[in-house]
Amino acid sequence: MLPENLTAIIARNETWTGASATEPYEGGWAKEAIVFVRALKPPKGKLPKARIEISGDGMHWVPEGSSFDLPAATDAVTFQRVAHFGNFLRVATDLPEGVEITLLVTLHLKA
Amino acid sequence: MTQLDDMRRAIREADPQLSRFDPLPRIICLDDFDRGMCGYTQLVGNYEITLDQMLPGYAQHTHAMLSTLPNWDFGSHGGVDGSYALKLATRPKRGAQNVTLKRLTFRKAGPIRMECYFTFKPEATELQLMETDVRSFGFLYDLQVGDQFGTGGERVMPHLRFLNARDGKHLQKWQFKRKTTEIKPIGDVGKTISHYHLADSDWEDLPGGEQKLCYNEIPTKINWHYLRFDFDLSTMQATGFQVNDRQFDMAGFDCIRIPAMKNLWCMLNLCFFAETDTDKRTFAYLDSVCLSGDF
Repeated sequence: MLPENLTAIIARNETWTGASATEPYEGGWAKEAIVFVRALKPPKGKLPKARIEISGDGMHWVPEGSSFDLPAATDAVTFQRVAHFGNFLRVATDLPEGVEITLLVTLHLKA
Repeated sequence: MTQLDDMRRAIREADPQLSRFDPLPRIICLDDFDRGMCGYTQLVGNYEITLDQMLPGYAQHTHAMLSTLPNWDFGSHGGVDGSYALKLATRPKRGAQNVTLKRLTFRKAGPIRMECYFTFKPEATELQLMETDVRSFGFLYDLQVGDQFGTGGERVMPHLRFLNARDGKHLQKWQFKRKTTEIKPIGDVGKTISHYHLADSDWEDLPGGEQKLCYNEIPTKINWHYLRFDFDLSTMQATGFQVNDRQFDMAGFDCIRIPAMKNLWCMLNLCFFAETDTDKRTFAYLDSVCLSGDF
């Protein structure tokens, strides 16, 4: 049997402002993940970094330690690799006043 | 019962994976989420040129996940007979819905049977039972006749939901619907339309459909429920519905029925959905689904 491998679209055409995050995603079966973020519209303002957060229960979150750029132009793509994340994963960021991004976030999990 | 029926039944009853189902002669699929997502994916709304055209009901949908039903207070709950179940989570906003589905077509317009083991609960964000936070759990077929049907062919969408609660009232009853929202064109090329058939409007009580389902004393515990829905693709009528020990009379049931569409011949889609009644996530879980047919 081939190992499980899943592409999950965890944010589609969402416009983020302020403190923003994807919905919690359970991936405890996976040993590794890659998150891709693509801007669907021209972002506004100077974008901060995004970070990976992990959680044991999907409710209490801690930064996993990885941070990565958000895509700076329409159709630009950034990504982050993650491993040994336990169970729940999400992408989070804190956008300053006036900063906005509309994005597609995809999670690629592999057992 | 023929000799073949007896032999088939004996073989199935000796198989622990199948013994808890009562499938029709041909198993179309046996989805056990210990083997992965089994073809269940996200219900994305229709769009053309830009995603901004997607109806809001669909835009909110997210991806189902493989879950061990983990809880902060006692850990993973697990499934009926394995570690994983398919989990569907709404966003934490009153009225939010989410849907997962499997897209098939049928090879004979005859009887089909869907059986599953399901449960639902709110996200345990408070140390309270929260038994009225989940608005509903439900399922539907999206069906259409074959391309040789002739005039009068329909796209037929039988919907059933367990209305658990609304506005803090624990209602616990099965409902169906026969009306969808307005069918809207998407884009201007004329190839795509959309309608949000899961809207929280036009649901009707299934006669005799009140049912008290088992739920536990804290928001992290669940119990699995058995569900069976029988439908005849030749008449496009429901023929049976059972949940746990209750069998419901389907004489008063009907489906959403709209004229056949030019692109959906023999469609057999099976969807499950969840809906929250408060600003907490609702979780619906499927341990396993068995879809069978008489052909």
